[in-house]
Amino acid sequence: MKRLDSILLKVFLYGLPPVIVCAIFSYSHSPEFVNPPTGYLKLLYNFAGFILAFWMMLSLYLSVRLMVSGSFRDKVLAKVTFLRERDEREVILTGKATKTTFLTSLAILIFLFFLSAFHVFIYRVPPEKAVDGKTGAVSLGVGFSLLENPKHAKPNDTTLKKDIFSYTGLPISSTTVILVLIIWQIISYNYSMRRLTKCMEDDLLK
Amino acid sequence: MSKCLPQLKIANRLHVLRAEHRITQEQLAKEVGVTRATIVAIEGGGYNPSLELAFRLARYFKTDINTIFSVEEGNK
Repeated sequence: MKRLDSILLKVFLYGLPPVIVCAIFSYSHSPEFVNPPTGYLKLLYNFAGFILAFWMMLSLYLSVRLMVSGSFRDKVLAKVTFLRERDEREVILTGKATKTTFLTSLAILIFLFFLSAFHVFIYRVPPEKAVDGKTGAVSLGVGFSLLENPKHAKPNDTTLKKDIFSYTGLPISSTTVILVLIIWQIISYNYSMRRLTKCMEDDLLK
Repeated sequence: MSKCLPQLKIANRLHVLRAEHRITQEQLAKEVGVTRATIVAIEGGGYNPSLELAFRLARYFKTDINTIFSVEEGNK
């Protein structure tokens, strides 16, 4: 299994450039934009689709393996994140850097949770609907839905209202949030590790 | 006291013993199974080794831990 994982990982990595080429080719020859390809172009188009499908299945398989196999995870992700635990001192430093990364990531997630849950609407209502002579109104809300909901809850009777400001959760996509968090984890860990190592070196110079 | 790894100030004679045995930090690190950076950190007082590593160092120099490590005066 380990050997198979190793081979599939190499296929995944070395297959990335051809997959990008195939994806660009498939996109540029998509029937949605140009006339359906014919002849050898159609064959090439279908082949590119198969390559892309195979690579997508491979990426799913490898990500599941990363979740369930501790040794595979240690081997692959340690390289990706530049994690080194060659002796007890590095284990302690890694532990401290990991703690910092974990807690800052948690803080970011809590912040993003609040940003995605809060709804704010500032609007003006027609003079005949004014309350105490005031036409400006602020509507606040907290929303949580288990599944993706394309329609955010807006105040009722919006036809007569003139929106001034409307905030219905995070404007960025979930894919972007996940990607930013992955990059953040790697940067935060390495920055903490460098800071701790430098701090220890500075102590030695005193 | 280190800001990075809060610890009791422990003095050590590692560099003396190393000089007596005429071995480099790299060689000692390899013998006791750590990196050279760890030996540098221990000698400089920036890192207190674990009990296990302290015993490994003592065993390598054929001596006891007290000969290598001692708590500096003024520490509680």
